[in-house]
Amino acid sequence: MTVMEQEIADYVTRVRAALADLRPAVRDELTEDLAEHLAEVAAEGDEPLADRLGTPEAYAAELRAAAGAGGPAAARNLDQRAAAVAASLRARLRVADRNLGPILGYASASEYLRLLRPAWWVLRGYLAAMLITMVTTGASFGLLPRLGGSTLAALLLLAVCVVASVWLGRRTPTLGRWPRIAVRAGTAVLAVFAFAGFVNADDRLGWNESGYQPTSEQVPFVRDVFVYDSEGRLVENARLFDQDGNPIRLGYRECVREGLPESNQGVPAYPYCPEHAPFRSGPVGPRPSPVPPTPAPAPTPTDGPSGGSAPTPSGGTTAGPAPSSAPPPLAPLPTALAPTPVPTSS
Amino acid sequence: MDTTQLLKGVLDLAVLAVLREEDGYGYDIMRRLREAGLDEVGDASVYGTLRRLFAAGLLTTYVVPSESGPHRKYYSLNAAGRDQLTRSGKIWRSFATTMDTLLDDRGVTA
Repeated sequence: MTVMEQEIADYVTRVRAALADLRPAVRDELTEDLAEHLAEVAAEGDEPLADRLGTPEAYAAELRAAAGAGGPAAARNLDQRAAAVAASLRARLRVADRNLGPILGYASASEYLRLLRPAWWVLRGYLAAMLITMVTTGASFGLLPRLGGSTLAALLLLAVCVVASVWLGRRTPTLGRWPRIAVRAGTAVLAVFAFAGFVNADDRLGWNESGYQPTSEQVPFVRDVFVYDSEGRLVENARLFDQDGNPIRLGYRECVREGLPESNQGVPAYPYCPEHAPFRSGPVGPRPSPVPPTPAPAPTPTDGPSGGSAPTPSGGTTAGPAPSSAPPPLAPLPTALAPTPVPTSS
Repeated sequence: MDTTQLLKGVLDLAVLAVLREEDGYGYDIMRRLREAGLDEVGDASVYGTLRRLFAAGLLTTYVVPSESGPHRKYYSLNAAGRDQLTRSGKIWRSFATTMDTLLDDRGVTA
């Protein structure tokens, strides 16, 4: 399309937009030779059409008056008003399109976007493959559509979808009305899906980043925690809590222990790997029978949850000696410790 | 007085007159009017007038394929149009004569 043809098309569009309130048949009749006429006028000289004929809106008003077609104030039904609004909107869009063009280095923005169309077809194929994978396998939005977890299948599916999308893209203009509407609707669904998918994937990326950081930044590289009582014995199944009664999670569960409770209500029990204890040579306490050596703090665990909370407010975290007695009484500890923030905060 | 104001009243007659000898399409008709001295006639006015005269049944149209561009819609006077031209022409002449006399009597020079 030459610049002149573009100018003529724009002029016709704006004249028609200004006549949008007329019955479609009347409007078509009034503007049917307009393009040809403008071509003749344009051939007269290099002057822009608007200089020679006035603005499209003025032209439309003159045409309307001379044809006795009635003014815009004539009774209009809702359809015609909607059509008028839509037409003027389209005309505005065309103007914006042409004004944006030079910024991008093209005659119009749509001309530039048209160049990007094949790229969009490729992206659309990729999104279709991703949607197929997510629907059939329930996978989350990732980078590759791993159908059945296989990379080869992913690449195959990707290739098929991209080729199909490009093929469809090249044929869309030749399709009938309903197939074309179906393609457009499908594309719209993919666009929405893509937006949601990318937002979701981005969120998960952010989560992964923070997930790599250790919970406690002051003590990096903690893999396991070993608690020793006052007599140097390794405390097993120790639970750590902060001032609010929240369990402190450190390290990584590297070894699987059998027979011992892995965690109590989601509270990690330290150490994860007692056999890796750094100070083994000390007076290793008899693990199965630890009750006799520590008689002093015994009342705390034996009192149960109701009595246990009484002594703890003085020092919630200094309950260290108490757990050394035995693993089983520790079970109610989390619940017993939970009330501690209440007295300290009041 | 603005010529465009006067034109509004007589454009129908002018269009009918330039179509008397020969059929024509929109741009062609406009050119004939300009050549006849009606420089200030607007393109849209001519097209609108053609449409209105056609709707009133004074003109018939036919499309001629053009080898040098798009098809052109030609307008031609039908019997009703010729009739109208004769009547309107008489009215105009009588009106113009009346106006000429009026101005002559008052000594307004041409």
